[in-house]
Amino acid sequence: MTTPEEPKKADAPAAQPTPPQAAEAPAIDFDALAKREITTPSNKEVIVIAEQFQGQVQPVTFELLGAGRDLADKLGGKLSAILLGHNLREQADKLIQYGAEIVYVADHPELENYRTLPYRRVITDLLKTFEVPPHILLLGSTTTGRDLAPRIAAHFETGLTADCTELDIGPYEHSNKADPDKLGIYPGCLYAIRPSFGESLKARILGPWNNPQMATTRPGVMIPLEPDASRQGDIREVPVNLLPEDFRVQVMEIVRELQAGVNLADADVIVSGGFGLGGPEGFEMLKELAACFENGVVGASRKCVDAGWIPYQHQIGQTGKTVRPKIYIAIGISGAIQHRVGMNKSSLIIAINKDADAPIFQVAHHGIVGDLSHVVPEMIRQLKASGAKINGEEAKKSLV
Amino acid sequence: MSSINNIYVLIKQVPDQSAKAGINPDGTIDRAKAKRMLNPFDRYALQAALHTKQKYGGKVTAISMGPPPAVEILMEAIEHGADMGYLLSDRRLAASDTLATAYALHKVIQHLGQPDLIFCGLQTTDGDTAQVGPQIAERLALPQTSYCEDFRVEDGKVVARRVIEGGYQWVRMEMPALITVANSYHPLAYKSIRGARQVQMLLRNEEAKNNVIKTVTLDEVGADPLKCGLKGSPTIVAKTDKVAEIGGSCVVRQGEPIEVMVRDVLQNTNLREFVSV
Repeated sequence: MTTPEEPKKADAPAAQPTPPQAAEAPAIDFDALAKREITTPSNKEVIVIAEQFQGQVQPVTFELLGAGRDLADKLGGKLSAILLGHNLREQADKLIQYGAEIVYVADHPELENYRTLPYRRVITDLLKTFEVPPHILLLGSTTTGRDLAPRIAAHFETGLTADCTELDIGPYEHSNKADPDKLGIYPGCLYAIRPSFGESLKARILGPWNNPQMATTRPGVMIPLEPDASRQGDIREVPVNLLPEDFRVQVMEIVRELQAGVNLADADVIVSGGFGLGGPEGFEMLKELAACFENGVVGASRKCVDAGWIPYQHQIGQTGKTVRPKIYIAIGISGAIQHRVGMNKSSLIIAINKDADAPIFQVAHHGIVGDLSHVVPEMIRQLKASGAKINGEEAKKSLV
Repeated sequence: MSSINNIYVLIKQVPDQSAKAGINPDGTIDRAKAKRMLNPFDRYALQAALHTKQKYGGKVTAISMGPPPAVEILMEAIEHGADMGYLLSDRRLAASDTLATAYALHKVIQHLGQPDLIFCGLQTTDGDTAQVGPQIAERLALPQTSYCEDFRVEDGKVVARRVIEGGYQWVRMEMPALITVANSYHPLAYKSIRGARQVQMLLRNEEAKNNVIKTVTLDEVGADPLKCGLKGSPTIVAKTDKVAEIGGSCVVRQGEPIEVMVRDVLQNTNLREFVSV
């Protein structure tokens, strides 16, 4: 694989279809061009860049292997993983159990913690050793994957789609005559499908002109395979040649907080507020409702966080946390797709909104159309009354 | 002597998705009709750039790419305290994806000269990719800290706090460098009186305005048009679909007394099982 900066070898496979000679030949047969089949060079390999934290491969990697297995099977190619870190032998075996056929392991003390430049160096060096590029390169949409993927994509000048919720393989017919040198039918394209701006749309994004075709997927969306210890795979050591400029960033300290008070991930009930609350004081009411529950936590939509009504730690949705509580109460949240992708896996969703057409009702199981400033206090009142009754009955029982 | 001379902040004008104007019935956005705004994420980047100037000196240059109305957000940056604005505007940039955008913007930066620090918002509300910042850093061969929520300059290096899953890390980074700013950073402060006066003056004096806010083309920054726009973009949006409705079975209560509607929800869900009061 060559980087764009390097001159293309004369004997390299013809990646680009020949441009039509518009000046000499006035009549371009667009229809004929659009029907030609174009295959870009690829070894059909699907590669997942594994993510490890303190020596443990993170769940998103197993999810990516699950998605990648499906893509590799459709392409008829191999599924591989690139694992970077230090002392990771067992973790490489684990990747094989989750479906990888090849694991490229870069083991080096300087790779113990993720850092952009050393990881970028090792991965781009490895990919440059490929005579024919892999077909697909996948990373997680995490603070690591979203930091690293764009650097690799820019390095190879290849396409990258962020935060996908679905991946698939299929053909693409490029018929845009404004761009005649790309006209044609491309088989085996990565369909990178993601929520798109403008509410309730999803976009299928393709980049069949360059390989690898890259995408990141959101944690918690793809389904991992059942781990199987009988799966066989090939573990290959990757040389690590870091340069002085790769050490321009040093990690001083890593802190994982036990997020006191805002543990959205483990909450049974999330009481979440949107812009319909009208101001920061609306969250006081939500805190009171959340306090009615044994393990209730307040969440928020991005708009409220952007407006400074509540800290970022509470944000749910595409740019915040993805949650799956037993009960999600959406209050004054219109339910833009960016919010819904963060909460639509909740076991039970209750929506309260004054607008009966709000998209939140499309994902909710139960809804109340009404003024939240009346509905929420009434809900608190009834819950407190029922709680008192239950507690009262229990108290009576214990007396007997 | 200040340790910082030049600070760039990259900002984008995006459609205001909360306004109804310009939102087509199929959910797509008509950019010509939509209300325009400064990308909300860029407000944090602008604040970070202005903090850097306040604490360590230097000049803040706001840079944007887009059609001519994007001058509005450069004016906004000046109202908040930026010194200069540059807009890269060229028809050949239409349909640029993140790679092509990063290519074009890195040419502007090379044209203006390497700064000490480049700030970007984490991502935009109309693309949500978070890719352009790191792609520019790659083009310029700079180190980066993404998801930065706090930082200081110490002994000629940036000490930055970076968000990671369930926590954070502190890193020490050499300059020049690129930083993408998380929205857990300080929100943008109010416009300064000085900045507001400056903008009022610029609006009256075309010549002064042209000295502070410059519009440049691809040719002026030496960018290859084949690496920009549709031709320079390796990705294409092949298809958009309405999202399949996930639930579709919502039991909606409407028009009844609130007390009745709330009771009905409590009776038909397991909500009360979680009560502890």
